[in-house]
Amino acid sequence: MSVPVGGEATAREITQARLATLGTLVAGIAHELNTPMGALSSNHQTIERALLKLGEILEDEVVTPDELDEVRRVVRATESVLRTNRIAVDRMKNLVKNLRNFGRPTASMARPVDLHEGLEGTLVLLGHALKEIEVVRDFGDLPRVVCHPNRLNQVFMNLVHNAAQATPAGGSLTIRTRTEGDRVRIRVLDTGRGIAPDDIGKIFEPGFTTKGGRIGMGLGLAIVLQIVHQHGGEISVESKLGQGTTFDVLLPLRHPGESAEEEVSHATP
Amino acid sequence: MTRNERGSEPGAVMVVDDEAMVVGAIQGFLELETDHRVLPFTSPKAALERLRDDPVQTIIADLMMPEMDGVEFLTQARELRPEATRILLTGYADKENAIRAINEAGLYQYIEKPWDNDALAVAIRNGVERSRLFRDLNERIRQLEEAHEELTGLRERWIHAFL
Repeated sequence: MSVPVGGEATAREITQARLATLGTLVAGIAHELNTPMGALSSNHQTIERALLKLGEILEDEVVTPDELDEVRRVVRATESVLRTNRIAVDRMKNLVKNLRNFGRPTASMARPVDLHEGLEGTLVLLGHALKEIEVVRDFGDLPRVVCHPNRLNQVFMNLVHNAAQATPAGGSLTIRTRTEGDRVRIRVLDTGRGIAPDDIGKIFEPGFTTKGGRIGMGLGLAIVLQIVHQHGGEISVESKLGQGTTFDVLLPLRHPGESAEEEVSHATP
Repeated sequence: MTRNERGSEPGAVMVVDDEAMVVGAIQGFLELETDHRVLPFTSPKAALERLRDDPVQTIIADLMMPEMDGVEFLTQARELRPEATRILLTGYADKENAIRAINEAGLYQYIEKPWDNDALAVAIRNGVERSRLFRDLNERIRQLEEAHEELTGLRERWIHAFL
């Protein structure tokens, strides 16, 4: 199936794309949770054994100097294991916090949002895919943008995930944000393998995929385009094979059509 | 030489993961429950430096690290310490990569995160023993070669003496 650039995706395709984003998200969360969980479960076993050992030593009426040394050693080692637990627990808390911000259910009305929160959340949730590439946050001073944050997060998720998959280890991904008059520009720039000139005109078409190329691109980008249009914005892409790809998203500070309601319901600072 | 609770000789174990919590957890466990000497590293490059002057029996390395991936690290570690047993630690989703790595880098085995401490202890103990056997075998081969050369020399001297 192929429609001209800018053609709207069908309801079924929108659902499919949402599911694909959800799949990426779930895989990301599972991976991000796995490391702290691995540390916690190992530490749990270790601390259990340590307590057992202490219990055995303290069972006797008399504790010998050697045993006392052993008690001290076990306590010291357990303390160090508990410090590791702290790091793991903090990591999990941070992940859940980001997830909550990320997945807030769709409000019927747009609201003023700090886009950097969504971008940060995206980077945290895709951390596993970004481990071997350098991530540069070139964040400018952005005012709050009136939008549907969970939909825009889907845009960020798609763009960052595509960039991560296209960029080999040692490459870089830059997210640059700037205010330009009454609009904001979010640029996602990678040093990945790029998009072939023959393909670049088709990447926003629903159903377009490059087999063996950038995975999930077809539906993902069709929806990205749709969401950006719904927000009264524009998206453009530039790419050079073997050098990288730049996506530019331009969004108005105020959501078209809903701005009147916004002004009544949200007194923006 | 002391023996640990699991009834085998302790060795030196290097643990390399960019996540401090993973290194900390494995180190804590090994120090509490075994007599192995633990060398913890969050930087694979620093770990390679250390391998130049410190022989270890078992090396455990994470697969995905920003500085250098685990397969690359373990391949370089093999050049420095061919006798060390190398174990790859991987996330569950990296299974295919891990299997490829085992074949490509000639690894002893891989362990999935989250790991079980007892399974890890067994893998390390086996790794230490395997490394010692490897070293002993090389030593025997060297001795045999020496003896062989000696005998060859002796035979030549005899032939010279009689002819």
